[in-house]
Amino acid sequence: MSVSLDSPEQLPEAFRSTGMRSRALRSLRRDPGALLGAIVITTLVFVALAAPLLAPYPAQGQGEANVPARDLAPSAEHLFGTDHLGRDVLSRVMFGGRPAIGVALAVVILAVLIGVPLGMVAGYRGGWLDEALMRTTDLFLAFPPLLLAMVISATLGASLFHAGLALAISWWPWYARLARTVTQSLKHEPFIDAARVFGVREPVILARHVLRNATTPILVQATIDAGTVILAVGALAFLGLAAQPPTPDWGLMVAEGRTTVVTEWWISTFPGLAIFAAVLAFNLLGDALRDVLDPRTGGR
Amino acid sequence: MSRLLEIEDLTVDFSRDGRVTSRALRGVSLTVDAGEAVGVVGETGCGKTLTGLSVLRMLPDNATASGRICFEGQEMLELSTRELRSIRGRRISMVFQSPGTSFNPVFTVGYQIGLVAERHLGVGRKEGQALVAETLHAVGLPNPESVMRFYPHELSGGMLQRAMIAMAIICRPSLLIADEPTTALDVTIAQQILRLLRRLQREQGFGVFFISHDLDLVGDFCDRIAVLYAGRVVEMGATAQLLGRPRHPYTRALLEALPGRAQPGAPLPTVPGAVPTALDDAPGCPFAPRCPLVVERCFEERPVLASVGPDQAAACHRWDAL
Repeated sequence: MSVSLDSPEQLPEAFRSTGMRSRALRSLRRDPGALLGAIVITTLVFVALAAPLLAPYPAQGQGEANVPARDLAPSAEHLFGTDHLGRDVLSRVMFGGRPAIGVALAVVILAVLIGVPLGMVAGYRGGWLDEALMRTTDLFLAFPPLLLAMVISATLGASLFHAGLALAISWWPWYARLARTVTQSLKHEPFIDAARVFGVREPVILARHVLRNATTPILVQATIDAGTVILAVGALAFLGLAAQPPTPDWGLMVAEGRTTVVTEWWISTFPGLAIFAAVLAFNLLGDALRDVLDPRTGGR
Repeated sequence: MSRLLEIEDLTVDFSRDGRVTSRALRGVSLTVDAGEAVGVVGETGCGKTLTGLSVLRMLPDNATASGRICFEGQEMLELSTRELRSIRGRRISMVFQSPGTSFNPVFTVGYQIGLVAERHLGVGRKEGQALVAETLHAVGLPNPESVMRFYPHELSGGMLQRAMIAMAIICRPSLLIADEPTTALDVTIAQQILRLLRRLQREQGFGVFFISHDLDLVGDFCDRIAVLYAGRVVEMGATAQLLGRPRHPYTRALLEALPGRAQPGAPLPTVPGAVPTALDDAPGCPFAPRCPLVVERCFEERPVLASVGPDQAAACHRWDAL
């Protein structure tokens, strides 16, 4: 009996290529933490965007005082109570998501946009360019983010924009380092050599082959960092270096209630819980993303 | 037949801190004619792959090549990076030893092959994908449209190697460098791949530069064979002559070491000793310390490649004693 060696191997029957979307859904369903993270973030973003419609007292949420009703404990009328100026804490927590989440996304996106291209070029080219770029990066890393934010706020004035700017400036070097490390390890992969053998241009190699392989760690880091930035913005606001009253901001609200936290606990606690929920959700989502974005481990 | 590739006196040096630390190729000369399959054989470390990489100018950063590499009338060693990139993948392609790692794991196979077509043929995404499907069909993959959407890890080694070959021939190159294309595959699949390469070569008429350590395989596939030893060509000739009547003791030793030719029950013959290191530059024949026919002269005078018959040349003082 002879076997035809020319017949190509058959495709395994139960073997279908799985797209990223179906993997994402499957992974969300299997990982309760990821599901929780996704739900919390979606809710926070939705509530922040729709705050003018959802908040029971939209005007108070944006700063209008109602002194006679001040320091009321949580009740049916004011679910989260009211603060020292009689404003509804629930409404303010809803509006407070806007600066927190907005700045977190802006800072992370800015840091990624600056850091990743620099890091990839440094890692791929190596040599003097790598040295120059990385020493510059070190220079920026020399400033602790909160300290830099304080300096900028002190010189340019305290505002949310300046706080975000300060954070972005001290955040991008981490992405440059991350992108550089990933690029260096990818640079000698056979498939990069193969791409070069087939005449693919260097920018294309970087923009497609390297970037797509670096996406997973970068996106995971960015998601987790979004939480960290919320925390940092909260800290700056607490110190009075970010959003200024009467802007509703979680960090600022925690600060406003700090002197009476034992008696009027609701003023600080609810915005604090919001910060906690947002940070935790971004962390959970970051972990889940790592599994989803890598086709080799996806859905397993 | 017209000359496709001409390598003349190719030397590759590795250096560190500006000092040459080793000389991996020491004056290799080879030619490949259009549509011809030339095999390069030798033990590990004798410079087979390096020769192939030199043609594409894909040497590591710390290596420098000198000599002449002429491909379709162009001096490869003098081309700008830009000119080089338009040749790579377009006129000269390469099939690698391990298809599993030569594809980017995060892109589908079809996308990656399509990139090459888009890059060199000036076709759009859609047209490129149609061409990919056609080429995957040509390399014998069933259901090309669905194979295209697979990620590399979802395909078997044999299927991936077929896809790799598709990527290599999609632009209809005139020279294909095959660097141990079957080493990572099991024997039956290896045979399929070789048949496929032969069929494609017949259909498209490209020349093949076939790198392997397996003389049997090369003998099956190639019109001519060059035997490399310690960075030099020690014997070169038409397949029938070279395998039928080797004129260099190293070629003979390699032939005798083939498992298929050993006496059943007897221990497999080996070539005693090891390849000299790339630093060793003693005068005389580099194979002398391992040669059964060695005489005094072999240690004093380096033999040069000289004609030893029709279509055959050997670098040995004692070729007529074989």
